[in-house]
Amino acid sequence: MNISLDPWIWLSALLTLAIFSFLFRDNILYQFAEHLFVGMSAGYLIAITWHNQMVPNLFEPLFIQGNLVYIIPLLFGLCYFARFIPKMGYLVRLPIAFLLGWGSGAIIPAIFQRDILKQTQGTLLVREAFLKWDTGLWAIIMLVGVISVLIYFFFSTERKGIMKPAANLGIIFLMLGFGASFGYTVMSRISLLIGRLQFLMGDWLGIIE
Amino acid sequence: MDIFKALTKIPRQVIFVVIALAVMSPLLIPIGLPVRVMPKSQQLFAAIDSLDPQSKPVLISIDFDPQSMPELYPMLIAILRHCFARDIKVIVMALWPQGPGLAEMALDVIPKEFNKEYGKDFAFLGYKFGVTAILLGMGDNIKNVFPVDYHGTPLDSIEITADLQNYDNLSLVITLSAGDPGWRAWLLYAQARYSARVGIGVTAVSAADVYPYVETGQVIGLLAGMKGASEYEILVHEHGYSEGKRTATQGMDAQSLGHLVIMVFIIIGNIGYFVMRRKK
Repeated sequence: MNISLDPWIWLSALLTLAIFSFLFRDNILYQFAEHLFVGMSAGYLIAITWHNQMVPNLFEPLFIQGNLVYIIPLLFGLCYFARFIPKMGYLVRLPIAFLLGWGSGAIIPAIFQRDILKQTQGTLLVREAFLKWDTGLWAIIMLVGVISVLIYFFFSTERKGIMKPAANLGIIFLMLGFGASFGYTVMSRISLLIGRLQFLMGDWLGIIE
Repeated sequence: MDIFKALTKIPRQVIFVVIALAVMSPLLIPIGLPVRVMPKSQQLFAAIDSLDPQSKPVLISIDFDPQSMPELYPMLIAILRHCFARDIKVIVMALWPQGPGLAEMALDVIPKEFNKEYGKDFAFLGYKFGVTAILLGMGDNIKNVFPVDYHGTPLDSIEITADLQNYDNLSLVITLSAGDPGWRAWLLYAQARYSARVGIGVTAVSAADVYPYVETGQVIGLLAGMKGASEYEILVHEHGYSEGKRTATQGMDAQSLGHLVIMVFIIIGNIGYFVMRRKK
């Protein structure tokens, strides 16, 4: 056993234990640690945004280098504060409209490419998929899964005839997907616990390497 | 009280204590359960392993915060060790504000293990806010987005970034991502728009969402959670690239036992539920 003498490790360990105390029930130690975390996160974000974003991307070019074009983004940014003046509140629509227009233009074609074109291509049965029996089998299962799940979400016709078993098959694929996601979620949470225990038992108490 | 009714009403504190004990015990006394390397982790390893020292740099984006460290930080360490062992140049950046601290932690230690020099073998660009503008801008000119590195040195005066233009000047991009902004944005802009080769390391929670993109070849390889990190550590170790500490691999016994206990609790709860339902 080799207990750490570093005060920061001690502080970190005690705050970890304070957060863990919520597992028993809500208490003042947990609330202290939670409020400390929220306050520090907000402060850190403000500081890093100022030094990393506002100063190099706005104040230096505008006020030090004298590049007057930067007045436009400054005015757009200031329009957000118009919300606090009821008579001028409409000005907030300007930057929001700009962001929505620019953002949609940038994102929609890329999403179409990433999620629709490529994913549809990936579902098609191509000759290369059947070069090995297992990849061919998986390609067929994937195609059946995609079609049956799409049928499950097709609400324009009554579920009878072939549509009913196909939709039911879709439910099975969906449940398998949800099960995989849940399993991964459990894995993730256990990993976080392992990380904290490695810190407490290793860095703090020194009982593991 | 009926035993089956009791099975459905186990106090949550008891469950927490049992899981904590199950996770702690293998950390104290390792069991050494085998970890099988999955093809998707192997693919990412192979993509980096196929590069040579003359290759263009690898860009690693740290898109996570300390909360996701147990899963993603070991990936960062293992990938850095792999790259440095093969003399591959590395550029690090962050889309999350907490990323720079994590990058500094790793870059303070790992390059020294391989006698690597800042500016010549690796560089750190720092954090930038505004994911869409950043990733689209990098497709045009990286130096417009990052005129200086994290320490304020112009990229033009840093050896490995002097000729850096856009994604074409990178061998591959690896995002270690705990959410948004992260792997979705890299796929959306760097891959879909600029055809960059993208490898992904994610927390296990997100892994199921990434699989479809690996199947279509949009992602060159995937590390999923602590298991993925452990697989990469094993690959790096087995190929003789590093003898360094393998944090994720150390945690895999605890992971397996933790899962086992949760499975037992799920089975117990279901037995109690079905018996109680039949009695009604």
